[in-house]
This record gives sequence, structure tokens and C-alpha cells, in this order.
Amino acid sequence: MKVHNSRLLLSFAALIAGFASLSVAAAQDLENDQLVHPPADSWPMYHGDYSGRRHVSFTQITPQNVGDLSLAWAFQTNQPAQIKSSPLLVDGVIYFTVPDNIWAVDARSGHMIWHYNRPSKGEHIGQRGVAMLKGWLFFATPDAHLISLNAKDGSVRWDKIIADVSKGYWSTMAPLVVKNHVIVGVGGDLDNVPGLLRSFDPDTGAAQWQWDATPPAGTPNATTGGMTWMTGTYDPQLNLIYWGTGNPTPVLNGKPRPGDDLYTCSIVAVNPDTGKLAWGFSVSPHDTHDWDAVETPVLVDGKFHGEPRKMLMQTSRNGYFFVLDRTNGTSLLTVPYGPVNWALGVDKQGHPIPDPNKEPAPDGRLIAPDEGGLTNYRSPSFDPASGLFIVDAHPSYSVYFAKTADGTYGWAGADYGLWGKGVIEAIDYQTGKVRWTHDVGEGGSGAGVLTTDSGLTITGDGHGNLLALETSSGKTLWHAGLGSPMQSSPTSYELDGRQYILTSSGGVLFVWALPEKQTHAQAAASESH
Amino acid sequence: MTNDKITDMIHVGKGRMPGFPTMQDGELTALIHFLATAESPAQSAETASLHTSLSAAGEALFQQNCAFCHGRDAMGGETGPDLTESRLVRTDRTGDAITKVIHEGRPDNKMPAFNLSAQEVRSIIAFIHEREADAVARPGGRRGVSVADLQTGNVEAGKRYFSGAGGCNKCHSPSRDLAGVASRYEGLELEERMLYPRDAASRLTVTEPSGTKVSGTLAYRDEFTVALRDANGVYRSWPASRVHFTVDAPVEGHVDLFGKYTDNDIHNLMAYLQTLR
Repeated sequence: MKVHNSRLLLSFAALIAGFASLSVAAAQDLENDQLVHPPADSWPMYHGDYSGRRHVSFTQITPQNVGDLSLAWAFQTNQPAQIKSSPLLVDGVIYFTVPDNIWAVDARSGHMIWHYNRPSKGEHIGQRGVAMLKGWLFFATPDAHLISLNAKDGSVRWDKIIADVSKGYWSTMAPLVVKNHVIVGVGGDLDNVPGLLRSFDPDTGAAQWQWDATPPAGTPNATTGGMTWMTGTYDPQLNLIYWGTGNPTPVLNGKPRPGDDLYTCSIVAVNPDTGKLAWGFSVSPHDTHDWDAVETPVLVDGKFHGEPRKMLMQTSRNGYFFVLDRTNGTSLLTVPYGPVNWALGVDKQGHPIPDPNKEPAPDGRLIAPDEGGLTNYRSPSFDPASGLFIVDAHPSYSVYFAKTADGTYGWAGADYGLWGKGVIEAIDYQTGKVRWTHDVGEGGSGAGVLTTDSGLTITGDGHGNLLALETSSGKTLWHAGLGSPMQSSPTSYELDGRQYILTSSGGVLFVWALPEKQTHAQAAASESH
Repeated sequence: MTNDKITDMIHVGKGRMPGFPTMQDGELTALIHFLATAESPAQSAETASLHTSLSAAGEALFQQNCAFCHGRDAMGGETGPDLTESRLVRTDRTGDAITKVIHEGRPDNKMPAFNLSAQEVRSIIAFIHEREADAVARPGGRRGVSVADLQTGNVEAGKRYFSGAGGCNKCHSPSRDLAGVASRYEGLELEERMLYPRDAASRLTVTEPSGTKVSGTLAYRDEFTVALRDANGVYRSWPASRVHFTVDAPVEGHVDLFGKYTDNDIHNLMAYLQTLR
């Protein structure tokens, strides 16, 4: 894919040029072209690029030298919320968030440039980060506002409402900027309300379009829900954005909403200019276990069983790995990647067939995976060289209950996790077979995954260790205890000829690099060639 | 002292007490309210349902911080249990136990710690107790999992499974460790313990490079470090790569069964365990 190539070329160029990037005038500016072709010294959007692969072309930190990795700097937020965001890096400044808060921090030193705080109503479950275009940031809030701020100083340019917090909406996601659209979704499955995507004009904040995941609340025999609470991906050639949608409501009681409950628990392809649906694929037809299909829809161009394909891959919360043809939403592969016991099989179109006997019941049903799912919102990574899709998986069991007294509104039942553990899994996308696994502890990890061209997989375990694994084997090469399990996905960038790996734990950012002695020597050697 | 004077003192400080000039309206109001009401926590928990302004403040905080997991009405939601049926909530008349959970979280269950003020926690506790009282007042249409819901199994079939396909009798005995288990636990709590007893201990035996063997209760294990508590309660750890060690974890037998149970097996086993009074 073009995104990948340009990044590779640019990073190579940056290495050869040594410190040439120091002379580039900094402007806290980000043009659309840089979103399509992200420079090496940037992480300009939630997933790093539009593909959602979380793979970087950098080769400075390698399996051979990762043992020398050391802390470049840490940043203390001095507040209790855990960092769940993927920080943006644009023109040497890092922007990251927790609910109600944005920090701008110098990427070289960890020194704070500004801090924005706006207390709000609504659910404060997490914040995934900001989006950026030109010199402006876009930030979604617990009371479901979209706010545009000046990247220079955090001053507010405009403040628009995405959806009504009093109806039960909130927003946690990093918006996606596509051309002249700022596209943002919502959370809200405590109430029977439809999920939606809205597009805003970057300059004025004027609403451009809205796509609704379900019919309006109150439609007979129809579902609500389908929350759009994670950032989607984008294919510039097909001009389609890809988004996962959340569970239907009422959540555990499927009786008032017969059928597949479209487009909840689905992957949808939407035209970013019009908001019109191109296709939708139901990942969990008639879900009754809260398994959002919002995990990253990862875009990969390559061969599938010998045929060149534009693919979309998702390790879904319901326990199945999906490979779709993203031009039209047809299934190429549907296969479980851990214990699942809720489906009778997979139909001809690649949809799992839910087992009616595994719907929540008054005396309880044993269900795998648990409600948190076989994976959750933290990002997986696709490594193009090995063809491995690497995900933080969570084999787990739970019991699900529902009875008449639980009603037909909101949660409408009860479920209890029994047991689970964390396993980093490397899935062969051609077959769905798991090539290696790496246990990361009882309970589960929660860390996202990043891969590099040098053959490294960066992730974390359930005890708070940051791990560098060998991508080909899953073997641990290096670790560092961060004090609390990571709740975010690692990122990486190159600045001044030095590769950084950025991670977080609790309320602290930790930024890692090889010792300056080594990186300076490498840069000098490159210059002398 | 008037509220204005208290506000001044908070903002400016007095003697060795520092000033808190940035304290915001909500916090300031709550602090003044706390100073003015001057109740002990024990009194406030007992009479929580009467203090509608306190529980209203608690409800607002609950919606922001707790509702996603525990539900808007505290009766369960995403991941978090029904608090109105919680033994801890039911028995915590002073509020100390709930306060501890809120401030420290429950790392084993992935509940984060919340850095809320004492007054904020009091208001949340007042709201939870109000919801609990409301739930108790409507036993007929009660939501959540009741003991009566878990009576669909067959005792004889459960007994057969215990000694047969389940293999429970390899580790457990109705006349020894499980004697009277149904008197100690009931309903959902009994079923959860039956399926996976979270507090079951594992045993770690470490052989040090010198050949010395050390055994104790497994206290910590990741890829890099193993630790135990010895018979004297002393915590000891080793680098996992430098020692030989074995872990004896009988609880793994419960994990092995997850893939084998039918729902009927579970209901039957539950019926049998409930006879062990």
C-alpha cells in the first residue's frame, strides 16, 4: 500500500540525511497530504496512518540492539485517569489526552507546552486522543461535544455538539480527518439510542452529514445501539471509511429486537463525502453478549490464496478473526482465534450463526469469551513481512443471565466474568492459524501492539511490563516494569535521526530510545557515506 | 463561622494550613457542606436515604465515574456487578469498606482506583444505599440473579457429575472441604466459587542455585520474577531465569472444565452443592 511505501522511503531518507530535519521550519501544521503519506517524524492520527496496521518501517531499534533500549523521558500527568490515548506527534510536539484533558508536550524533552482542561458531564470511561488538520486539533468529550483548538496554545476555536448527553450519549474517540471532513462517533449503550457517525467542517464546525447505525429509538421490533466509539480507517483510492459498530440495545435481552439487528456489531464502509453506506457486514448477528465490533478494521493490500486483494482484517471482540474484501464487503475468512462456544458455526457469507441456547437465561449460560471479549479496544498490528496479524487476546469464560424482571431497557440482564488470561497471538491471515502465542498473565493484559520492519513486536503484559518480542517467534527480547498494565497502544516515530517508542502506563507517558551515543554514531556514520 | 469566612480561609490559608486558591465551586460547596453538617460517617451511612441532596450529588458522580460498569441504577452493567446485591455493600454500615474499594480499586477485577474526596465518596455511598433500599423494597420484580433462579438443576445428576465426568472428587470431598459449603455461600456467590474460586492458593517451590529448596504460597509470577510467602508470612522473590521452580496450581482443574461443561452440568452441580449444608 502506498502509505507504507512512502513512510519507508521517508524514514530511509531521514536516516541518510542525519539531522537535516532539524533545519526544517517547525510550524505545527499538518496538511491533508501528510495524512495520506505520514512523514517519519510524525504520528499524525490515532492509528498512525489510514491503514490501521500499527506497523512502522523504522529499523534503528532491532532485535539485536533492543536490549540497550532506555528511557528517554517520562511525563507525569499527576492525575488518576489512566492514559488510553494514542498521542499525536506533529512538528516535534506530542498531543495526548485523558477525559476532559489535553496535554501538548515537547517530543524531544517531555517538557509541557500547554494543558487544556474542561470539566464535563457524561461517562468518563476513557479518551483515545485528538485528531489534527493544519494547525487545529479536534477533541471529543464525555458530554459528546467536538471541540476544535489551536495547536499552538490550546485555545478553543469552536465547540459543537455531536449528540445529546442527556439522552445517554458520550464520546471517547479520536476523530478521523479525511479531506475536509472531521468524522466522529459516539458511545452510549446504557440507553436504547442509535449509534451514529457525524462529519463536521474542519474550519467552521458546521455539520456535514450524519450516518445512523440503526432505525430511530421506538421503531417496533427494531434494535437500537451500534455505537461507533473507536476510530475507523480509510482507503483513499476507494474513498471509503471503514468503521466498526457496537452492540445492540437492550444489550443482553434480544427478544425485543428479532433478526440480525443491522448495523450493530458490524463493519461498515461509508463514503466520507456523503455519509452514505457502501456496504455493511454483520460480525455478530443478533448479539446478546455486548461484543462490539469496533476493533480496528485493519486495511491490508496483498495476496489472499494467491489472488491480489484489497483486504480488511479484524480480530473481533466476539472471538472470530475476519478477513473481508474491502471493495464490496464479501467474506474471505471467518475463523475463531481462541475459545468460543456461542455459535453453531459460520454461514456461507462468513457470519457466525448465534446459538439460541447461548442467549442469556434466568439460570445462567456459560459463555466464552467473556463480555470484555477475546480482544477489546487496544490496537492489533499487522506485520507485512511475516503476514502475521498480532493481537492481544483474552481467552475467558463468564456466565450470562437475563430474566423478565431485567426489562427491555439498557443492560437488561447481568453477566459475571469467571476467569481469563492474556495471550499475545500471531495469526496467519491466510488461514487464521495461530503461529505462536505468548502468555501475558492471568486476568489479561490490555496493551495494544506495534510492529516494526526490523522484526520487533512491542506490547505489554498483565503485570505492567512493557515487552519487546521477536515478531517471527514471539520470544521476549527486552522488558521494563512500568508499574501498571498498559491501557493504550504503543506508537513510534523518528526525530533528529533517533527512533522513539512511546508507551503509557497509569497516568504517565514513557518514551524509549537507544542511548544517544549509539544513535548519534549511527547518524554520523550515515552522513559520512 | 459564615460560609464567606470559611471560603476566605480555604483560599488564603491560615497559620500552617496552606491556601487552596484554585478550589472550584463544586468542591468548595461540598467542603462547606461537610463542615456544616458535621456528622460522623457512621451516622451518614445509616441515614443516607434521608439525605436527598447528598445522594443527588452522589448520583451525578456515580453517572460520570461508575455507571458504565455498574449501570445507571447501580444494578449492574458492563463488567461491573450489581451493587445492590453486593455483600460488601449490604454489610458496610460505616462506609469504610466501600470507601476503601473506591480509593484503592480492585486490581484483580480490573476496577481502577478513584481519587475522589471524602465528601464525594460519602455522596456516592449515599446514592448506592438509596438504590439498595429501593431494590429491597421490590422483591417480586427484582432484577439480577436471585437464589431462586439457580434451582433448575437435578441433585442426583449433579452428584454423578461430581464423582464422574467432572472429576471434582479428585480434589474435593462433600464430607471434608465442602462440608457445609451451602451454609457458607448461596446463590450466585456459591456458583461463582464453584466455577472458579478466585482466592484458591497455588504453591511455589523454588530450587536455588545452591540446591536449597524453598516452598510457600505463590505470591507473584510473571515472565521475569517469581515470589512466594513462606510459612512465616515472609515475602521472597527470585529472578525466574536464575532458579528452577515449579508451581502447583490445583485451581487449573477448574479452568480445564470450562471447555467441557454443558449448561446442564453446571446447573446440576449447583443443585448438588446446595444440598451440602
